[in-house]
Amino acid sequence: MATIAVPLGAQGEQQETEALRRPALSEYLRWSVDHKIIGVQYGVAAFIFFIIGGAMAMLIRLELWTPDLDVMISGAAYNSLFTIHGTIMIFLFIIPMWAAFGNFVVPLQLGAKDMAFPWLNAFAFWLIPPAAVVVLLGYFVSPAEAGWTSYPPLSTLFSGDGQTLWALGAHLLGISSIMGSINFIVTIFNMRPPEMTIWRMPLLCWAVLATSIIAVMATPFLAGALTLLLLDRVAGTTFFDAAGGGDVLLWQNIFWFYSHPAVYIMVLPGMGVLSEVLSVHSRKPVFGYRMVGLSSMGIAFVGFTVWAHHMFTSLQPELRIPFMITTMIIAVPTGIKMFSWLGTIWGGKIRFTSAMLFAIGFLSLFVIGGISGVMLAALPFDIHVHDTYFVVSHFHFVLFGGSVFAVYAALYHWFPKVTGRMMNERLGRIHFLFTYIGFLFTFFPMHVVGMLGMPRRVAVYVEAFQPWNQLISFSAFVLGFSSLIVIYNVIKSYYHGPIAGANPWRALTLEWQTTSPPPATNFVDDPIPFEDPYGYGTEASAAYLDAVDEAFSGAAPAEGGGH
Amino acid sequence: MENTRSNTPSISPAAVVVTAVFLLVSVIGINWFATFVPVVLPEQASAESKSVDELFYILMIIGGVVFFLIQGMLLISVIAFRARPGDHSDGPTYHGNPLLEIVWTIIPAMVVVFLAVVSYNIWTQNSEPKASVNMVDGHSIAINVNGARYAWTHTYVTERFDSDGNQIIINSGAELHTYIGQNVDLTLGTQDVIHSYWVPAMRVKQDLLPGDPAKGGRPTELRFTPVRVEGRSYPAEYPIVCAELCGDGHGRMRGTVIVYEDESQFLAEFFEPAIHAILNPPADPVLRGEMEVQNYICNSCHILDRLDWTATTGPSLNGIADRAGERVPGQSAEEYIATSIWNSGAFRVPGYDQQMAAFGPDVVEAANVMSPEQLYAIVAFLCTEGESSDCDMENAGTAIPNAIQTVFGYDVDITFGMDGGEDESAPAGEQETDTETDGESDDSA
Repeated sequence: MATIAVPLGAQGEQQETEALRRPALSEYLRWSVDHKIIGVQYGVAAFIFFIIGGAMAMLIRLELWTPDLDVMISGAAYNSLFTIHGTIMIFLFIIPMWAAFGNFVVPLQLGAKDMAFPWLNAFAFWLIPPAAVVVLLGYFVSPAEAGWTSYPPLSTLFSGDGQTLWALGAHLLGISSIMGSINFIVTIFNMRPPEMTIWRMPLLCWAVLATSIIAVMATPFLAGALTLLLLDRVAGTTFFDAAGGGDVLLWQNIFWFYSHPAVYIMVLPGMGVLSEVLSVHSRKPVFGYRMVGLSSMGIAFVGFTVWAHHMFTSLQPELRIPFMITTMIIAVPTGIKMFSWLGTIWGGKIRFTSAMLFAIGFLSLFVIGGISGVMLAALPFDIHVHDTYFVVSHFHFVLFGGSVFAVYAALYHWFPKVTGRMMNERLGRIHFLFTYIGFLFTFFPMHVVGMLGMPRRVAVYVEAFQPWNQLISFSAFVLGFSSLIVIYNVIKSYYHGPIAGANPWRALTLEWQTTSPPPATNFVDDPIPFEDPYGYGTEASAAYLDAVDEAFSGAAPAEGGGH
Repeated sequence: MENTRSNTPSISPAAVVVTAVFLLVSVIGINWFATFVPVVLPEQASAESKSVDELFYILMIIGGVVFFLIQGMLLISVIAFRARPGDHSDGPTYHGNPLLEIVWTIIPAMVVVFLAVVSYNIWTQNSEPKASVNMVDGHSIAINVNGARYAWTHTYVTERFDSDGNQIIINSGAELHTYIGQNVDLTLGTQDVIHSYWVPAMRVKQDLLPGDPAKGGRPTELRFTPVRVEGRSYPAEYPIVCAELCGDGHGRMRGTVIVYEDESQFLAEFFEPAIHAILNPPADPVLRGEMEVQNYICNSCHILDRLDWTATTGPSLNGIADRAGERVPGQSAEEYIATSIWNSGAFRVPGYDQQMAAFGPDVVEAANVMSPEQLYAIVAFLCTEGESSDCDMENAGTAIPNAIQTVFGYDVDITFGMDGGEDESAPAGEQETDTETDGESDDSA
């Protein structure tokens, strides 16, 4: 019904494009309960926010080109700029972006027809646009300027109405996140085919499961903190006002009890993506599958015990030591993942696809974020670099070098499944090169300026730091430019990319054992998963993949694709 | 799955050798890197900074080994295990090696335990309370730091007394004066939002937390001991930075630590002159006002070229006396300036928010307490700011006290208590007016 026109005049593709039955673009603008539509809705919305947040980052770096306040009209305007940058990137980009890949891929990997609660799934997505409007409107009213962490009393007694809108928007996004996560948990536990035990489940599903458990457990604390903040702001309560018997550290404790686990909400799905991509593109099973899956759960669990390391300079001194120890412990399950991934590609037959390049980029950058994470856990050193550019560098290494690189890897990996067309690999490599170099020279020097004495969240700084900041800003512009390449690639490939076929990467997980894009019910018959989702290199797996190729090659999807 | 083990991992001897060489190079590289430590960290100006930097050095060695190990293995992988052109086969079906997995769980665990122990030792050593703190001229005195948007104020509660027996408090503004070997123990408090007191050269940082002003706030503590830095001439200066976002002017909330060579230099160049200035203030109200105004945090929000103030949160004070007479109908220039200081909310300059703190004789924040005499002197000083002052400078000695009397109902001792006879009556007079003006000041609020 809703097949879309494929480009005319593409000779030789004519026959193949008959097979490409994609939902009409208008489908994506409507309420839909199809997890594949919702996945794309999440993904495109999140990417638009990534561009907006990225443009704000460019403005931030432009302001920091000189030591004086010259681009923004006031320090307060600068403060609201990075506040909204952080809020967009965390709540409107990374978290929804993982919901996008989770939505599209997880039901397919499980061989399911849809998520367990399709209506709830759509509702969770449609909370995001109004929440985004509320947050962004706040920017134009009297902007929130207390940072994405919104510490009172700056965010209560000393901020304008934009702060109230910020809190309302974050509230809505939290509700969306909880609903999405419940859906994932129920889906993963209940909708696997009988052959797929939990120990044969793809690692992306493991990661999404761990993420969802964290989100369901932690997000209510964000809701609690935001409710108290809103009451303080609009109802005259004094939860965070010392003069009325409140306590400013109450906010820091509740907020970080959510927001530290939220760091893992932002990076664990990326780790799941890494396990998929590294294994498929190096043609080798994931090394130590069980430990990789379990370490996700380990990170989820230990992640709940480390929150107060964000308060090393405000917490009572005697409470700091226990949090230093838990924070260091979390390096162990993360290390297990790192080494297992290295073990995965070691000895493989690595294909340098764009997806693989970004996955390897993740490994090489995330390790730096991990090392600086352990350094920050070391209390006496943290006291020096707390709230400096060292911290800015650290969390961009894990959230950009980690999560965003994983998003790109996932994009290049699953784009053929989503659209039925391949992305341009040459542009992908150029994109990787600009992103990697731009990233490294943007964020690595930040370690140094931080240690030398530049605090974070400042629009003005001492002149001695100007050369460093100009290097950082210049590299940031290169990094910003790199995202234009991928936008061009996505649009061009959507219309003109080579036809992908069902399984261009010869991957064993179930999402590849159906047409690209999959029909409305995902699979024609109940799919039979291969005994081992990563069992590459065996004759059985080769036979399985050949059978899949044969079943889908050239043939139109048995059931009228699209929607 | 039956042939899972048929392919052993292709870890060739060559790869092992390369890895070993890489490790060796990394250790040497890290030692070479250590020569850059002074480049990436500020000077080591405190005893604490030396142990923190030792920890940094240890972290760099361990981090460097991890870095080179993983990047090295990645590099070897992408070179050695790339699929050759035309090779469409799969890699070996190798699912894992429990022994290896145990090793790479146990070793990192041991490393972090080691780091935790080292960090704990340095932490306890650095945070241990010292026996004699803030020693000045044989006394252990209190040094307080007040954070306010967007300025630091340091006050020294000395063991010296003025002729009335009042303890002398030195206000050194954004400067902390100390000397090599003094065990500095600061008591920190904020009068608005959270700030964070950071001295990069000392490697110390502590947040200032808002507390209930009625209960004396929520003081926090910061300790460090300055040490000699080779090649430095003394007194040496180090920046103080605010590290916690506190609003519009967060980036310029800075200060300076001034370290003297020894206690005698500290006493001679800072402490005794400060005491002397307090005991012998200039009698001229304008000069006295110039001195007094710098004891407050006005510079954190206002521009005043004469004193090198550059902040832009509040309206500029350049030429204020030229405008003061026309701002509020019916208010003289003297009345307007006095009102704008003690009752800053009374008139809001267009284009600016009302953010100014309260000043006056009764305010809770110690740093903002201002006597009628201090107000008189500051108004006199600001009345000279402009080309054609609206103030009656010929009769400043009566016009300003009259204005203060009219607006706030306080009597001003224009001799600043230096006139022997007035000495006794000034505080008494103040107390009297205190009680009788309560009603009046309510009216004006």
